[in-house]
Amino acid sequence: MSGFSEWLADVKDVRAPEALAVGLPTKRVESWKYVPIRGLARTTWQPASPQTTEQFALTGGQFVNVPKVDGCVVSENTVTASEQKRLDRMSQAHGFGLTQAALENTRLVLTIQKTASVVLNLHHLANQASSAGFATLVLRVEAGGQLTLVEQFESTDIESANLSSLRCLVALSRDSSVTHVRFQAANATAHVFSNLDVECSENASYRLQTIEFGSKLARNDIYIALVGREASASVNGLAITSGTQYHDTHLAIDHVVGETNSEMTFRNMVDGKGEATFNGRVLICKDSQRSATEQSIANLLLSESARVNPKPELEIYADDVTASHGCTVGSLNKTELFYLKSRGLSEADARAFLQYAFAEKIVEEIEHRDIRELVETQLLGELKHGELIVELKESVDV
Amino acid sequence: MLSIRNLHARVIEKPVLKGINLEIGTGEIHAIMGPNGSGKSTLASVLAGRDDYEVTDGEVIYMGQNLLDLEPEERAWAGMFLSFQYPVEIPGVKNIYLLKAAVNAIREHRGLPELKASEFLKLVREKLKVMQMDEAFLHRNVNEGFSGGEKKRNEILQMQLLEPTLALLDETDSGLDVDALRVVGEGINQMRSPERSVLLVTHYQRLLDIVKPDFVHVLAHGEIKLSGDHTLAEKLEREGYEGIEAA
Repeated sequence: MSGFSEWLADVKDVRAPEALAVGLPTKRVESWKYVPIRGLARTTWQPASPQTTEQFALTGGQFVNVPKVDGCVVSENTVTASEQKRLDRMSQAHGFGLTQAALENTRLVLTIQKTASVVLNLHHLANQASSAGFATLVLRVEAGGQLTLVEQFESTDIESANLSSLRCLVALSRDSSVTHVRFQAANATAHVFSNLDVECSENASYRLQTIEFGSKLARNDIYIALVGREASASVNGLAITSGTQYHDTHLAIDHVVGETNSEMTFRNMVDGKGEATFNGRVLICKDSQRSATEQSIANLLLSESARVNPKPELEIYADDVTASHGCTVGSLNKTELFYLKSRGLSEADARAFLQYAFAEKIVEEIEHRDIRELVETQLLGELKHGELIVELKESVDV
Repeated sequence: MLSIRNLHARVIEKPVLKGINLEIGTGEIHAIMGPNGSGKSTLASVLAGRDDYEVTDGEVIYMGQNLLDLEPEERAWAGMFLSFQYPVEIPGVKNIYLLKAAVNAIREHRGLPELKASEFLKLVREKLKVMQMDEAFLHRNVNEGFSGGEKKRNEILQMQLLEPTLALLDETDSGLDVDALRVVGEGINQMRSPERSVLLVTHYQRLLDIVKPDFVHVLAHGEIKLSGDHTLAEKLEREGYEGIEAA
């Protein structure tokens, strides 16, 4: 019996019986083997109800205050056959996918029109205790369109488990671009699920910057298909995991055609009894010649009981490609610590400096200034002895 | 100021220092010369508190304190400074953060008030000028992407800002071209004072042409084999280390 059984038995969705039969993913499923799902199974989940807000938000599984901006059209909730196919693939491939599909509350379809340039700020509001919201967002970016999507999470104290899940489909037409910034700082009891499926046509570029700080448990599944020549994808991610948090990112990029580029850089910093999983897979298909991919994964362990599970995977079937990859796991560098201490920094300040430096390599890449500053502030708040750096930034940054 | 007595140290199981005795008086400049692998850099590292080395015997007294009991940061607070042979790159931390944090940490331990941002900037600009460094260096990450010469200038810049009582300069001249050598050498000369002592570790005489030491010691096989005044450096330059190593 899963924590969603009663709810699934109640809904009319055609996928509910199958979801009920399949249940929650177990540790026997390879891509879920590290995920501590006990908290999910123990809670008797019920539908969350939306809260009042003036922002464009996802609350209780519903989108509210969808902005009316030039170049961005709210379409009917019907999806095309190919979009439905991608959604079905998502539900089937993902251990939790059928439940997400069956309990879906709303679906929002937005079209960014030809050559328009649109910025959307989506706020994720916290759901109430023992309640969950499931939603789907479909983004169609027409030829030459530009979209900046910023997702932020509200962090209100909620005593017991709460859950929010967003499945997001992004289709980039030729020459379009999407910058997607995701800053997950949800409350400490939150379970956050994010499934992202991106398709890039010719000369389209998709850039994702994802920062995970919050939640009790977060699971991101990101799939990017480069289906047109000169398409490119770049993913930059940072997860800061402490206490008994669990963060998990499964990222897969397929170079379906040739002359495509991808880049993934991911950093995990784990303290306390935290655990972080990163699985990064790049596939370059047989005929995808002259493609290039770069992969870099770094893991910093700050305590004896912290755990990381990094798994880089490269599958290359074409012969004319450029591929580089690197994966490191370690604690703070002794020589760097000694250098800082020899300059008079205390052990605690030196450690804070190096932790900040590790995270900052990802954070400094965020072009969106407000978000970058927000992330930095939060990052420094999370660091033990981060005050010195706060003070330095305030005093010498111009 | 510094008294090294019968200092023995090893790295892993290999003895590197085999009984060093050295007295450095206040205001004196000492140069330690010697062939590669003689233990010069080890001596500087042990004095600064790097824990890759294990001290197996002997003692070091610095201004009345047992130096070997102090953590590296405590040595810095007590006025010691090590200029690294290979300055460490710290991507993600701006040079100016490190400089300001270091200056104020040391001021705090000297009982001086913290420098305000404007006072600090004024000071650092003066020192940049001495080291012929552009202000852009302040906003670059610590040593990241710096050339060999820029890294060494950055070390001496830090020394200028921290105003140590005892400066240990580990092969500060290596990897420098003629112009950079002159700037670095003048930067060190400018710090000469009756209250400050310097221990220069070097392989070549060329830095000693600019920074004239009061004493020169030759280290070989982990021991000081010979001591003299600055003319000893010139003799070594002419005759090499062979005769001394064999002794």
